[in-house]
Amino acid sequence: MKKFVYFLIVCLTLIVPALATVDDAISAAMEAADPYVKQGFIVREDQWGGDLGAGEKKGFQHTLFKGNDYWFFMATDTLKAKVNVHIYNAEGKLADQESLQKGSYAAIRFRPPSTGSYYLIVEVEKSPEERTHWALVYAYK
Amino acid sequence: MHHFRAAAFLVLVLLTSALPLRAAAPPAQIDLKQFQQGTQIDNVIVPVPAEIFLVLDKIGTPNWKAEMRDADLKIGERHQIALLLGTVIADGFVAVEATDREKVKNIGRDVLKLAGAIGVRDSVLGRSNSIIEKADKGDWLNVKRELDGALQDVRNAMSELNDDQLAHLVSLGGWLRGTEVLTSVLNKSYSKDGSDLLHQPQLLAYFNAQIKAMPPELRKTSLIVQVRRRLLEISPLIDESEISKQSVDKVHTITSDLVKSILQKDS
Repeated sequence: MKKFVYFLIVCLTLIVPALATVDDAISAAMEAADPYVKQGFIVREDQWGGDLGAGEKKGFQHTLFKGNDYWFFMATDTLKAKVNVHIYNAEGKLADQESLQKGSYAAIRFRPPSTGSYYLIVEVEKSPEERTHWALVYAYK
Repeated sequence: MHHFRAAAFLVLVLLTSALPLRAAAPPAQIDLKQFQQGTQIDNVIVPVPAEIFLVLDKIGTPNWKAEMRDADLKIGERHQIALLLGTVIADGFVAVEATDREKVKNIGRDVLKLAGAIGVRDSVLGRSNSIIEKADKGDWLNVKRELDGALQDVRNAMSELNDDQLAHLVSLGGWLRGTEVLTSVLNKSYSKDGSDLLHQPQLLAYFNAQIKAMPPELRKTSLIVQVRRRLLEISPLIDESEISKQSVDKVHTITSDLVKSILQKDS
């Protein structure tokens, strides 16, 4: 019986990471954003996510408004994976103002110099998995 | 010697632990075309009206109560309901700014009624109840979150029903009503900073592309034809480096007309 329980635990340990989903990545991103709520940021209820291979990038066009203060959080639930998020203006120039990377998430703060279109580029920089689930959320104040 | 070794080891440990915190330097310039091909339409984030209203609050003192409307909801075809639902959720954000509890509660009920008419009632039932409950408590921050959540839940439910086009119309309805309110505020108190908020040509191009991609039977309904035609009229007005008061006024007229048309049943 003990052997069976041990076998079950080992199996579960192996299976659980494989069952990781975008939902887990969303939870990780929301968790990363949570401390900023105390600073008055409103976290959008909408989330964006999917899976990417290591070194793969995805771009999002986003209209941002001058006068607002934004934080964007990209996260994964894959252990030892490293993710990145950066913001570029409509001319393709890097516009990051403040960035941080902690464990399974990366974040950037952005106060748009003018209202208009910006591009958020998310990337799974490295990962032990072939495909890595990720999620992006943002907050504004 | 032992001290030196210990210090060297400590430095090594500190460096090793500090290195993962350093993000690799991103390229200073990228070619955006690589992200604009093929999937461009799917990769657009549509802001909520609350993001714009927040800026208006920072640069002035809008009379939000004056921006609220009493809409007699007429339920017609599914595309009309989708657009209407978007406008009603945008109304919710206006009512939150006006801190009008009764109005917000009514909007919570309207959202449920319209979601029911389009077959996604269950997806917003919890949100609707939460909007009403939180409005009762005057918990405005969380009402905003629930309205945002209702918008997403309805869109997700429609996508699950393979009604992606209708989901896009909900967003468009919200944008139209939000822009009507924005231009109304600007008409009363024009400022360059305020009019700068209208500078959203790419977002408008996205909405136009969504309509263009709709199946003909939907794209050719009189309401959608009208929406598309009027959106094309807005495009040049908000693509100016400095958006004039005249342009603001024109955008207001167009969005007001469209929001009124959405209130009517479409054939």
